[in-house]
Amino acid sequence: MSETGANNKFAFYLGCIAPNRYPGVESASIKAMKKLGVELVPLKGASCCPAPGAFGSIDLNVWYAMAARNLVLAEQMKMDIALVCNGCYKSIWEVNHKLKHNKDLRDGVNEVLKEIDMEYKGSINVYHTAELLYNDKFIGVEKVRDSVTNPLKGARIAVHYGCHLTKPHKDREFEKEVMLNTENPTWMEELVAALGATPVEYRNKMQCCGAGGGVRGYDIVHALDITNEKLYNLEAVKADALTDICPFCQLQFDRGQIEIKEKFGVTHSLPVLHFAELLGLAQGMSPQELGLDLHGISCESFLKKVL
Amino acid sequence: MAEKKKAPAKKTEKKQDMKKEAPVKQEVKKQAPAPAAKAAAPGATTKQEARIGVFICHCGTNIAGSMDIPAVQDYAKTLPNVAYVDNYKYMCSMPGQSVINKAVKEQKLTGVVVAACSPRLHEPTFRTATKEAGLNPFRFEMANIREQNSWVHMHDREGSTAKAKDAIRIAVAKAALLQDLFPKSVPVEKAAMVVGAGVAGMQAALDLASAGIKTYLIESDMSIGGRMSQLDKTFPTLDCSQCILTPKMVDVGRSQNIELMTWSEVDSVEGYIGNFDVTIRKKARGVMTPAQAEAKGIVGGGCNGCGDCENVCPVIKPNEFEVGMKPRKAIYINHPQVVPLIYTIDFKACVKCGLCVTACGPEKRAIDLEAKDEFVKVKVGTAILATGYDIFPIEKKEEWGYKRHENVITSLEFERLICASGPTGGHLVRPSDGETPKRVAFVLCAGSRDNTGVGKPYCSRFCCMYSLKHAHQIIEKIPGCIPYIFYMDIRSFGKAYEEFYYRIQDEGAKFIRGRVANILEDPATKNLHVFADDTLLDRPVDMEVDMVVLAAAIEPKPDTNRTRKLFGVSCSQDGWLLEAHPKLNPCGTTTAGVFLAGVCQGPKDIPDTVAQAEGAASAASIPIHKGEVELEPYFATCIEEKCAGCGMCVNLCPYSALALIEKDGKKVMQVTEAKCKGCGTCGGFCPGGAIWMNHFATPQVVAQIDAFLLGGEQ
Repeated sequence: MSETGANNKFAFYLGCIAPNRYPGVESASIKAMKKLGVELVPLKGASCCPAPGAFGSIDLNVWYAMAARNLVLAEQMKMDIALVCNGCYKSIWEVNHKLKHNKDLRDGVNEVLKEIDMEYKGSINVYHTAELLYNDKFIGVEKVRDSVTNPLKGARIAVHYGCHLTKPHKDREFEKEVMLNTENPTWMEELVAALGATPVEYRNKMQCCGAGGGVRGYDIVHALDITNEKLYNLEAVKADALTDICPFCQLQFDRGQIEIKEKFGVTHSLPVLHFAELLGLAQGMSPQELGLDLHGISCESFLKKVL
Repeated sequence: MAEKKKAPAKKTEKKQDMKKEAPVKQEVKKQAPAPAAKAAAPGATTKQEARIGVFICHCGTNIAGSMDIPAVQDYAKTLPNVAYVDNYKYMCSMPGQSVINKAVKEQKLTGVVVAACSPRLHEPTFRTATKEAGLNPFRFEMANIREQNSWVHMHDREGSTAKAKDAIRIAVAKAALLQDLFPKSVPVEKAAMVVGAGVAGMQAALDLASAGIKTYLIESDMSIGGRMSQLDKTFPTLDCSQCILTPKMVDVGRSQNIELMTWSEVDSVEGYIGNFDVTIRKKARGVMTPAQAEAKGIVGGGCNGCGDCENVCPVIKPNEFEVGMKPRKAIYINHPQVVPLIYTIDFKACVKCGLCVTACGPEKRAIDLEAKDEFVKVKVGTAILATGYDIFPIEKKEEWGYKRHENVITSLEFERLICASGPTGGHLVRPSDGETPKRVAFVLCAGSRDNTGVGKPYCSRFCCMYSLKHAHQIIEKIPGCIPYIFYMDIRSFGKAYEEFYYRIQDEGAKFIRGRVANILEDPATKNLHVFADDTLLDRPVDMEVDMVVLAAAIEPKPDTNRTRKLFGVSCSQDGWLLEAHPKLNPCGTTTAGVFLAGVCQGPKDIPDTVAQAEGAASAASIPIHKGEVELEPYFATCIEEKCAGCGMCVNLCPYSALALIEKDGKKVMQVTEAKCKGCGTCGGFCPGGAIWMNHFATPQVVAQIDAFLLGGEQ
């Protein structure tokens, strides 16, 4: 447990992609969570998490130190961190976990942090907002259901869990045991159902979006090939929309459809929404408020169904 | 010898620390001389001065390689009561034992301390040596300087030398106070019990019975036969499993010396080797055997296995014997070859409509819908546990989709599907559409050798071989059908197993070395895509097949834990029952008179199971044929002049070994020596210090504690 004590106020770590590409995720998270009794306080001065694939593959020490700096900022606010991205989760949660349990590593990182007059203490915890929504210690599925004013009735919504939240399995600890299921989890489907929508299963649900681990940057055709296969599987079960809990996955599925058309000449038109955006819609926020018009793939078809 | 000086200096420091920080321990010191003087109190035969011999074993380099033996020897010489010290390369060898023998005689020793390995290994050896030298065997004390010292402090020479000195000092302190003890012999009941009637239990029971020993064979299921009766063929000979098992089952049913109790469980166990009192719960079966019927005055009645009851029963349930792939009724036999051929009512499913009672008719009157569990008490000299195994719930390995994808089955389901007496009459079909598969993937090590924390870390030991057999069976039965075997490595270690492996390769089975990462179902065809990494060709595999067979890991049966506790048997971390020694006593347990057979001790195939069962039967028959066993004389005794007769010990005793009796107008406690296990609960508790624990008496234990804390300066 953290030493912060408060369970309803979190330092909100935004990450890079959400504020730059999908600002609706930021606004939806802050507003929707507020309705659920959780206040997200901006974590000022935060840097990139830094991206686990890009930085972690090249220099782990840089990865530790930068993530630790973000953690120290939250420690100074005496708040646990909440974040909206699986990649950020891997960096911030995992580095926090490693530093808490490895004194040598902690000492090394603190030596670097000393140069900017900071010290990592290990006094806070890190949570993904999806975890806050699902775990009834914070919010829970029931409260989410109660907050819905505009049920997303009739919408068939598929879930993309993304990789870094639950994998690697051996390095993860969740209070809710079902969240430890890496092969066929269904807890996000419970949240989707709480919004009034119909969750749909599809083939190879747990496959990567294609982007992670630096693949998008290094070999976009390969990345898009994986994305393309997932999109076919989603179309096969007639999903009206895909929901994710990671802006990087969202970018890959959303902008990726445009890139797939350019590179492979295949047309998909599947709306892709972060769960925070879905939650905002279900709580009555307008599409403009949620910045849905900024998505690469139009959400119109989906919105017609649910509004 | 610098070290020698250093070590006592350290001890003095310790002693001073003790005085500063823990005044309580000081009191111990003050008290110490008093009980020591009275050490010989109840026995009080000899009061000669203690002359202890210390014998230090090198165990080759096992001990000598990690510590300074000469330094330890020099130190031992300085200890009080030590009259002689020697060392030898292997103390347990014949020359080593003669060193002890010679010293006892020449030095007129009163006690022997051997500093060597664990008493678990060689205490009996050195006791015998002590006895042969002319001393009472209980005048021996062992200092463990191997398992608890040199092996764990292999690279700390200084530390292990100091620790060996401590261990020897403690052992000498106790040895000086040891007394002559005389083991009691108790008669052994000429009967044995075997728990579990699979192939292991049946073999053990048949052997015991053939040796003329009355044997109670307890089986929790309705029939004997166990897992082996569910199998179609056995590897590598391809014998029909039922064909070779059924004669044994019939023999068990017929044997005069075997009392078979099916649908029964061990409820409680009391007593000790030679005299186990076992209570058996005969679960309510609802159907009487002819003997039971006759006992109730229904002459010529009881179940004859005609099956009329089954035909009219309206309740349908999945048949567990067929892994749920065939229906059964609430009154049923789960396959045609059950022994004994007596129907059983599943009272959880039975609606008590009474149709079966009518169908059974007024002559047989075999059915009793109001039957209750019955308890039977039997007395046996020895017992064999053969409780078998279960299949690991492989759906926990979610990536393979068992119970999500229709055409993913387990090997046990495959056995039933390919078996002529199975639910499909021996036709392998896809559960999704009943079609005959043409491409079948076998996933080996499914949940075995799995370090993810989901499956089992151990090798289940027969999956490679039965999967090879499965591959052979589909090649033989389905023309054109190709088996694809995904394996880590093929473990074909037994006699004629490797040859069988080559044979299956030649028959056309395809082998892909790689663990299966994921299995996906094609929603349209229900075909399966098996994803793996072919580590020989170094490329990823996506293979479309019609059916996947998971060679699921095995695990102990859920009630094994309860049964083993009743018999006082330990288990290893993975839940398999723990043998007394993994190499030299694989059938025995640490509880005298209790033995193990079959997979309950660890995964093994049929030949190994039968061999172990015969071994266990042989071991279990020894005390019975001998007729008596010696009990270790570690029982409690009452010092009657000190006993206030409060009786608190009587309630504390976990073995019901104590009682209060009137003696000379005074209430005192009395011990039933054969029942007492020497646990010390009463002795530790007794407010008046009136209970003397043989071989672990208060003065002896206090002397050991003193010797440790006070560094020998008593």
